[in-house]
Amino acid sequence: MTTVVATRRKKGAGLRAIPAWIYVLVSALLVLPPVAWVLSTSLKVEADTIDFPPAWIPDPFSSGGYAGLLTSTNIRFFVNSLIYAGGSIVLALLICIPAAYVATRFRSRRMETLMTGILVLSMVPAIVVFIALYSMFVQTALINTYPMLIVVYTAIICGQTILFLRNFIENIPVEIEEAAAIDGCSRPQILMRIVLPLIRPGIAAVAIFIFVFVWNDFLVGTVLATTEDMKTVQNGIVRYISTGFGNFWALFSAFVVVAFLPVLGIFAAFQRWFIAGLTSGGVKG
Amino acid sequence: MSTTSAARALDSRTPSSSPAVASRRRRPDRGVWIYVLPVSAVFLFVFVGPLIYTAWTALHETNFYAIGEFSGLTSFTELFADPNLPKQIGTTLAFSLGALVIALPAGLLSATVLNSLHRFKRTVRGLFLLPWLMSQATAGVIWLWFLNPNFGPVTAITTSLGMGPTDVFSSPTSALVGVTLITAWWSYPQAMLLFLGALQTIPGELRESLKMDGGGVWRGFISITLPYLRNTIVSVVIVLLMLYVQMVTIILVTTRGGPLGATETLSMRVFNQTFNDFDLSGASATAILLFAVNVVLTLVAIRFRRKESL
Repeated sequence: MTTVVATRRKKGAGLRAIPAWIYVLVSALLVLPPVAWVLSTSLKVEADTIDFPPAWIPDPFSSGGYAGLLTSTNIRFFVNSLIYAGGSIVLALLICIPAAYVATRFRSRRMETLMTGILVLSMVPAIVVFIALYSMFVQTALINTYPMLIVVYTAIICGQTILFLRNFIENIPVEIEEAAAIDGCSRPQILMRIVLPLIRPGIAAVAIFIFVFVWNDFLVGTVLATTEDMKTVQNGIVRYISTGFGNFWALFSAFVVVAFLPVLGIFAAFQRWFIAGLTSGGVKG
Repeated sequence: MSTTSAARALDSRTPSSSPAVASRRRRPDRGVWIYVLPVSAVFLFVFVGPLIYTAWTALHETNFYAIGEFSGLTSFTELFADPNLPKQIGTTLAFSLGALVIALPAGLLSATVLNSLHRFKRTVRGLFLLPWLMSQATAGVIWLWFLNPNFGPVTAITTSLGMGPTDVFSSPTSALVGVTLITAWWSYPQAMLLFLGALQTIPGELRESLKMDGGGVWRGFISITLPYLRNTIVSVVIVLLMLYVQMVTIILVTTRGGPLGATETLSMRVFNQTFNDFDLSGASATAILLFAVNVVLTLVAIRFRRKESL
């Protein structure tokens, strides 16, 4: 396939590529302006953000928006999101790797039914189960607790996680595991010593996928965390819009930029795994 | 049997031919069920339990979050007698199909363009993916700020053209159009990624023979790309529709269902009934309806998966 591309490139598709680049240009004009506008606002002095007509280049440049983010409330939002994401990664891997392993290697009709059930359930609209979870939790002490939110996040991404891991485990030659079994490895030992090291790339991709999902999720934090000290980064962003008074646009924009940086950084560093992890579940639907 | 998937398609390695049937010799012993126990417990707790609870709630009267007397199907008859329901179903359809009609071609076109580029491929892919990398909440609020009627650049442009300020989210029709466009803007890269994976499975020889026969770009698109992507298109349609039908976040951060209920889809109705009207019984009935819609979409998805192994 790469050779085909190489030969084609030599023939020079200079003129033929023009429509494609026009399309790229149009997309850029649709995608970039709001992003650039937020970036520009985040670097303005607060008073300049409500100038009209607006200026695209901040004058003077100011890092006041970013400096102003360092409040205990804001730091709490970021710490919360990190706790939720970290907890979900650990819990999801802990419960999904064994499930994916036996679902791949010990297939039976019942196992397939269970896996289909899990997949179908994980496609239930979140809002449908959230109202019940909320009204159940709000009557108990379970609302606003880290473990509860982590369990909910984990449940939402479990279906895709298992599917994705199964694809990786299927690619391991079964003979390795059989050899280990002959040498006297028990099933947990095979899982820990043989399978786990071999699916490390899959685990990395899944961890990235879970992190981005939890970091970008707004609804769980909105519904199941009712006090401000348990809310997530995304709630922190929207808080400016829904409860903001006075001039807050520079702060708001700086918050948006800072909240986006981890995802952007992960994307830049691990593009391949990132895309593989994020699309795996989607098409299986 | 989930042996093929977008992940596999994205993965350029050839699928290894390991038959996973070695363990068929013995009957699978009971021990394997311990491995799926934790996952099953989590799913019972987060999905099955709440679904039963929702159905239970819909059959009872509620006072805030306390469940009261058994009321039979009253909340369902109230739901279907509600004059707002047809309008909300219409809104859901307009929103979902509107976003689909934009995101599907945009995703296909972006994937085709990206696949045909030889230079700056990674940069362009990053550009195309940018909206989707943001969270839904971010996508909603940055457009809200960009379209701000008092200070936004769009208003500056329309004012200088003498059309007055743009106030997208204050009139019913434009709010619905705005929310739909933002949703399409955020979601088209997802379609693009799925198409991109499928495009890479088209054999190069086909394109070569097209060139031999003197076919152009359009001919190639009609005769090679579209037939190859038929199944992918179906699955992308379903994935996107599911996403749109249950979309809450973007609508919530931009319009909360308003103005005058113009952007209140079924999902938003569930949210508003729960957290604004505190009508848990009514919200549960709506949620059951939403669940039914989702089940239909899921069944279609599964049917096509089995048949064509998406």
